[in-house]
Parts: sequence; structure tokens; C-alpha cells
Amino acid sequence: MSNNEATSALRLTLVAGVIVALFLALFGRLWFLQVLAGERFAALAESNRVQIVVLEPPRGRILAADGEELVKNRPAQTISAHKRELLNGLGEPRDEQAEKVLARLSQLLSIPVDEIVERMNSRKYSPHRPVPIAVDVPPELIFAVSEHQELFPGIEAETLPVRTYPHGTTAAHLVGYTGEISQEDLEQPQFADYRQGDLIGWAGLEKTYEPYLHGEEGMRKLEVNAKGIVQANLGGREPARGDDLWTSLDLDLQRATERILQEGIVASREIQRDDGRFLPSVAGSAVVLDARDSSVVAIASWPTYDPSEFVGGVSFDYWGWLQDPANQYPLIDRAIQSAYPPGSVFKTVTGAAALEAGIVGPSTPVSCPPSWELGNITFRNWNPRHEGSLDLAGALRRSCDTYFYELAAQQWVRETNQLNETGKVDEILPRVAHDFGFGRTLGIDLPSERSGQVPSRAWRTAYWAEHKDTYCAKAESLPPGYARDINADLCRDGGRWRGGDAVNSSIGQGDVLATPLQVAASYAAIANGGTLYAPRIGQRIVSSEGETVAEFSPEALGRLPVDEAGLAAIRAGLRDVVMHERGTGRLAFTLADFPLDSIPVAGKTGTAELKPKVPYAWFASYAPADDPRYVVVVSVEEGGGGSQTAAPIAARILQAAFGLDVAPFVAGPANVD
Amino acid sequence: MELGYGQDRTQRLMREKVQDKWMDAYAPVRHLDPVLVGIALLLTAIGVVMIYSAKAHVTPETGPALARALATKQLVSFGIGLAAMVLAAVFDYRYFRAYSVVLYLASLIGLAVVLTPLGVEVNGQQAWLAVGGFQFQPAELAKVAVIVALATVLHERREDPGFVTVVLSLVVIGLPLGLIMLQPDLGSATVFLWMAFIMLLAGGVLARYLVGLAILGGVGFMAVIRYGLLQEHQIQRLTAFLDPAGSDARYVYNGEQSMIAIGSGQVFGKGLFNGTQTNLAYVPENHTDFIFTVVGEELGFFGASIVLGLFILLVWRGLRIGMMAKDRFGMLLAIGTVGMLVFQVFVNVGMGIGIMPVIGIPLPFVSYGGTSLIASFVLVGLLLNVHMRRF
Repeated sequence: MSNNEATSALRLTLVAGVIVALFLALFGRLWFLQVLAGERFAALAESNRVQIVVLEPPRGRILAADGEELVKNRPAQTISAHKRELLNGLGEPRDEQAEKVLARLSQLLSIPVDEIVERMNSRKYSPHRPVPIAVDVPPELIFAVSEHQELFPGIEAETLPVRTYPHGTTAAHLVGYTGEISQEDLEQPQFADYRQGDLIGWAGLEKTYEPYLHGEEGMRKLEVNAKGIVQANLGGREPARGDDLWTSLDLDLQRATERILQEGIVASREIQRDDGRFLPSVAGSAVVLDARDSSVVAIASWPTYDPSEFVGGVSFDYWGWLQDPANQYPLIDRAIQSAYPPGSVFKTVTGAAALEAGIVGPSTPVSCPPSWELGNITFRNWNPRHEGSLDLAGALRRSCDTYFYELAAQQWVRETNQLNETGKVDEILPRVAHDFGFGRTLGIDLPSERSGQVPSRAWRTAYWAEHKDTYCAKAESLPPGYARDINADLCRDGGRWRGGDAVNSSIGQGDVLATPLQVAASYAAIANGGTLYAPRIGQRIVSSEGETVAEFSPEALGRLPVDEAGLAAIRAGLRDVVMHERGTGRLAFTLADFPLDSIPVAGKTGTAELKPKVPYAWFASYAPADDPRYVVVVSVEEGGGGSQTAAPIAARILQAAFGLDVAPFVAGPANVD
Repeated sequence: MELGYGQDRTQRLMREKVQDKWMDAYAPVRHLDPVLVGIALLLTAIGVVMIYSAKAHVTPETGPALARALATKQLVSFGIGLAAMVLAAVFDYRYFRAYSVVLYLASLIGLAVVLTPLGVEVNGQQAWLAVGGFQFQPAELAKVAVIVALATVLHERREDPGFVTVVLSLVVIGLPLGLIMLQPDLGSATVFLWMAFIMLLAGGVLARYLVGLAILGGVGFMAVIRYGLLQEHQIQRLTAFLDPAGSDARYVYNGEQSMIAIGSGQVFGKGLFNGTQTNLAYVPENHTDFIFTVVGEELGFFGASIVLGLFILLVWRGLRIGMMAKDRFGMLLAIGTVGMLVFQVFVNVGMGIGIMPVIGIPLPFVSYGGTSLIASFVLVGLLLNVHMRRF
């Protein structure tokens, strides 16, 4: 029995040991949870208890110069769902209650439950914000949700600010559009405060002035219970509306410019060319600047697009339409994002360069023959008749190509000799062109401005090095003939800046590329007495309380490298283009019944060759010629002659600008440039 | 009066022999264990406060009324429990041996009736019987009956702790276990298995049978998991706590929220009635199976330690009573009771802190639930009974 008792005691001790071990395990775990990891769990409990709802701030408005709203916000009644309260970690309804809520919502909105769940799981939406399930919901549905929260825990009826465009597509390219911030942008330092799902400006002023327009998001702290029902409002911060952007745009003129541009382009398609084909006139743009400081009065680019299509995410169909080459890529703002050969509108720069080089004075007469020889190549003037001797103003008036060929060739010889003698060369044209605003961005407050191009010797060498292999391959593969000879020549010697290059550049051809904005800025500089300004749309930023937060004054980029006499000669020439009986631009204005007597106009036509395409039409102008107020530049892709297509459009835009009756488009004049 | 208990056992026995000899008046009631009773009362009181706190602030409109109703019902059960405890203590426990068969059969009938349409289903378990407006869980009372029955078998067959004894014991356990699995009540079933093992161990069953049973249990458990004797959701429920990240959120949620509640209590808790997880109803069933989350969240590690400490004291008193018992039957009653209480505490608290699966087992004395509370007091009564009649 004593043995038995000993065994019994041993067993009881064993039982006691097991019990001690179990309690030790409990204490150990409790120590870990409550003492070691307690703070982490306290934070988890807090995040359970407090739900932070981010309130999106309304974006600032974009206003025309007179305060008219180009873009504003409209409140959109939205039904949104809190993902966290309805779905589990796998993105499925969390429990039976969630399933019931989703079923009710599905019935209310006539959207299948699957679709609602799919939407809530979309990575497009921020996990910190309720996911919008239906936007622009009728008030009775909003009422059903907000007044019966017990039936719809986790569902919220809210009013979201939505971008709206009171004037439709007007100024679409300037205003731009918004979209959800991309993953790449989120990683940028300037978007450190942004989160997934936030709207940012994707294009236009919306993008440039994003930091001002965005506003400050608000948040609301809510105490919610396990069923997602709000128990208490713990306060928070109201969202602060973004600041308003006041622009220099003249809304009426902007609208008129867009209309006139479109009508003019369409009307020009009636014009038959010498070969019997009609002008294609596929696209174009018009820039209206304040001649005094280059602030933007209107910019139109056609074809255009509808920014309201981007509200709430652009549809697949519309995006496809925008990206279809047949539609000429309407998203491109051709005034600043397309660079074309400027043709004759560039002659102001070439003329100034000849003066700067000292090859001629403003009134030195130079012969204007119908054709002109360089080596064994013949360059022709547009006019087959000899025009006698012309000074700079006359050469501009008559747009005499051979005048500029001669000066360019002389300059080329001089520079080549200089290079051979000293090993260095001061290339006048690229330098002067740069000072006129070409071959560089001007810093307009719109994204993706193109810099265009003014070729130089260094540029030629670099370009050749890059393309030499192509030339040489073509020289081998092409059948014997002109093209093969050219490529063979380029393969051998294409890095050299030749006389022909200089001659081509002198009339804005060859490798010269310019944006309509650059042309406009350079003409504004000529018009205002020689100061080149950076074109600007934004004038000031005004907070929602009416306080001016920032003001942007005109930024002078520099002075034109022309003395007073030279500038006067250029201005006289440009004035004659329209005002002189034999000016190339005159007909377009007289046909439009433009009152040139009371409002004299200065301008320049341009017809830029871009073979094998139909030439690009240009017209650059300012008015009144003696005390310039507006600069108007029009360019039409494959629009034929500048006097045919571009000048009539410019004339009518000027009519609109000066509050005159805008003449209807008539069959255009024959091309004279 | 209690001071004497700290003294050497022999001295005390001698003194008590003298008392035996000279004092004829050593009525059992003088040998009550006031510590044991005190602990039971204290735990019950804490339980009532925690039950109130669990529901009082969930909704401002209905919360306080609901909490008061629950606390009141618990207090009524406590009254019945006190009476049951006295009843279990006054008659000499050795009589129970004679009536153990009756008690046992009665509990089997209870467990069987609950499976008929007379039983009430709650949360997918057919575990309740409604009698005259009162609901009770036969399984809770069956625990008491099985302890008594098993103690009887092991006591009667103490001279032959071999094969036959083991088989008999398994039959005694197996019948109620099977009925409980039909409800199904996994929690109570595991309590039975554990209790049986502890009693067989304490009851002197040969070691090789115990080892054999342990192996059999392990293999059986694996087989149940592997061959789908349990339903998929039951298995998920059992294994979710091991891998919360990889498990269905439905099975993880309760455990996760209760861990957040307990952990967020930190050292001193958020204060009575101030638990956010509690008041915002993030922990389901926090007045019954998850009552410990209220303790952990509102009273912190400090309060949780006090509650666990009270259970340790309780267990110590129980073991002590078992060791001092006059006969094997008394000892087994005590060990069975202690074993059951320890297991329930461990599983209940363990599931709240993520070291045990979420299976529905109440925390003795503390959880809301009349039958469980009454059964616990009956067991205290049995312990007192054994203790009072240890001479």
C-alpha cells in the first residue's frame, strides 16, 4: 500500500506540474500581448475604433481675365462603399450582414453585386476613401441610403466635387484635364502628400498649376463599431478648396478664335491647287498674344477634344478616338507642341541676322531675281518675275527669297573663311534666332512645350554622325539616280554645313523648325519695340477667401539683337506686307473688308515646304501696326499658301479682337508666297 | 482561525487527533474551506461586473438595460448555484458513490433529450433544454455526473487498475461524449477527454495504458483531421489560430479581435467600462466565451493576472483537498474537478490570446451562463464535502 501511496503522490505531483506549466504558458503569453506588444495592439484597437475618412478638396477654378469660369466644380451626388467594412482580406463580402447590405445596394442601384464588389476591389481606388459606386445618383436614392443607415452600414451617400466645363470644349487645350495620379507620379517627391486615387492635372493649366489648384484634403475621424455603424464624430478637418487661377484669356476672343480657326480650315479645303487637288488643311492652330508683354489672350488648336470626357475616367472608346491617326491627334496643342518649318515668317530673323552681321544696312538695295545660283544648284524665288532691287523692308513686303539667299550665301562664305582661318566661328543666324525665341522653349505655363530647332554647324555634324549609317546604306541599296546620288553625297560629306544649308535656313526651310508660339513671341517682340517676353497664361492665384496668393508678372527673356533702325526697317516691311498695294498679305484683309485705314495691320505670310506634303500655311501679324495691341499667328498643316489659308483666318481673328464684325469666309485668293 | 493551516501537517494531524479524542464536537461544518468559497464568490462577482461591462455601452439606448438583465440573470443563477453547492456539500460524499449510476443515467437522458426537438439550437449547436422558462445545458451538468461516475469506477476497481478498468472508464466517458459530439459541442467534448485522462492518471491506472491512450488520442485526432470526420469549417476553426494570415478571415476574426482587445489593455487596462473593443462590439460573444477579453482590455495585465491568480489559488485548494482526501473516491472527485477547471481556464483564456483554437468553452464562474455557473458551484460543493469529511 505504501508503494501505491507513493505512486499516487507522484502522479498528483505530475498533475500539479502540468497545471503549473499551463498557467505559465498563459502568463507568458499575456505578458507578451499586453506588456511587450501592448502598444502595437493599442494602435490596432485605435484603428479599429477610429475610422478616418478622407475628404477630397474641391479643386480651384480656372478663370478668364474677366473672371468668367472656364473650369469649376459641380457637386455630384455619389453613393460610395467603405471597402474595409464590407469586404474581408480576400475581397469577398465579409459576413452575412455584408452580403445583405450589398444585395440591398445592388437592388437600389440596379447594379449586379459582382460588379459592385469588383469595383470595390479595383486597385484604382484608394483604400482610405470610400469607393464611389454610383455617381450622379437621383436624390431619392441618396435619401434612401442616408436616412436608412441601419440598412446600409458601410455605404455612404456623399457629395463629391466633380470638374465641370461651363463653356464646353472652349480652351480645352489650355485648361487641360484631370485624372487619377499615376503610380510613377506617386513616387515623385512633389507628390509626397498625395495618395492613390487622388485627382491631379494631367494636361494643360490643370497640370502646370496643380500645386495651387489641388487644395488641401480634409479628414473626418469617426468612431465606428464592429458593424461599421458610426457611433460618434470625433472631429477632423474640413477640406480646403484649391486656389483659383486667374488667366489672361479673353473668353469671347478665345471662343471666336476657335470658331474662326475651324471655319477657316474647313473653308480652305474648297481651294483647288494648281494640280487640281483640293487643299487637305488637316489641322492648325492660332495664337493671340498681348503684343505688349506676350500674355496669352487666346490659343486655339484644331481639331480639339472634350475635357469633360475625362471626368471620372476617360472611356475606352473616347481614348481610342483620340489616339486614332485618322483624327489628327486632337490632344496635341499644336500651338506649342508641334514644330514646323516656319517658312517666310522666319525672314524677320534672317533679315535681323544679316543686319547683325553687317552684310547689309536696313536700306541697302539687293537684287531680287527670279532665280539665283549657288555652285551648280539653282534656287528660285516664288515669283518668276524679276522684282528689281529691294531693301530689307521691300524684301519682307515682297517676301523675296533670292534677296535672303544672297545675304545667307555671303554670310556663309564669311563664316566658312573665318572657320578655316581661326578654327572658330561665330554663327550669326542660330544666335540671332535664339534671341528671337527660336530653338528653345520659352517657358509658357503649359506642359510639354516644344523647343523647335535652328540648325548650326555643330548640330549638322552631330546629326550626320547619328544618321550616317542610314545614308550610306541607302547609297548602296537605292537604284541609280538622284536619290542615290544625294545619299552617297550625304554618306561621304553630310557632316559639313554647306552653302545650300545656309540658304535653305534663310527662308525658314531646311532644318529650321518652330512652334506657332515661338513665331508669335518673336513678332510680339518686334511689335513692342524689341523685348522678348515669355508667353504666359496664368496671371495670379487667388485663394478661396479672395486673397491673392501669387502674382505672375511678365518675364522678359531678353532684347532682340537689332538696333532701332533695323527694327524700324523690319516693322516697315511687315507693315507693307498688309498695307502696301503689292504686299503679299493684303488681299486676305481687303477680301475680309478689314478696315485697314483705322486699324493698320503688320504681318508676314509663310508657305513652308515639307515635301512630299502640301505646304504648311503661316501668317504672323500684329495690329494696330503703329501701336501694337495684339499679335495673331495662324498656321495650318497642309494648308497651302500662307496668304491663301492662314492670312484670311488671322484677318478674321483680328476683326474679332477689335470688336468688329467678323467676315464670313470666301473663296481664298491665289497664293502669292 | 486560518493561521493553523500553514503549520506542519503532522503537527496538525496530531492536534486534530487530540481534538478527535477529546472533543466529540468536530462537526464537518467546522472544516469548511473558507478560502475556496471566498475565491469562488470573488470570481463570480468579477464575472457579474464583466458581463455588465461587456454589453452596457454597446448601444446607448439598449445597452444598459441588456447588461442589467444579463447581470441579474447571472445573479439568480448564482443564488441557485449557492443552494446547489450547499446541497452537494451537506450529504456525505460517499453516498454519492451509491447514487452515481442514477446521476450518470440522468445526465445521459438529458444529453439525449437535448438532441430531440425539445432541445433548442443556438449558434448551430443543439445544446440547450428549455424547462419552465429556464434554459440549461445538460452538458454542463453531465460534467459533474461524469466526474462522480468515473471516480466511482476507479475507486471500486482500485485494486485492479488494468485493462478492464480502462475499458469500463472509456465506456463511462464514451457514452456522454458521443451524445455531445452529436450536438455538436467540440468544446465540451475536449473537456471530457482531458478530464478522463487526468482522472485515469490520478486514479492509478497502469502507466502503459495511459501511454497507449495518449497515443491513441493523438492518432485519433490526426485521423479526424485527415479523413474529414469533422466538417471543413470545424477543421478551419481548429487550425486557424496557428496560421492567421493563411486562413479564411471568418475563422480568424474572433481570435484576432480578442487578441487586439486583450493586447490593447496593456499593463493597467483602459479602465472599467472603457474598453473600446468591448464597447464597440468588436469581440463577439464577449459576455460568454470571450469574457476574458473584457478583463484583459479594461483591467490590463494587472487585472488579468488577478483573475488568473484567483484560479491558481482555487486549483491549489483543490489539489490540496485531493491530496488530503480520506479515500480514493474523494481524491478523484477533487482531481477531476481541478482538472476540469484548469482545462477550461486554459482553453478559454488561451483562445482569447491566440494560443488555443476558438472552441466554445466558458470561463468557470466568470462567463455568462447559468448552467455552467451552477455546475461550477456544485463542484465547489463536492470539494468542500471531500474536505470536510477527510478524517
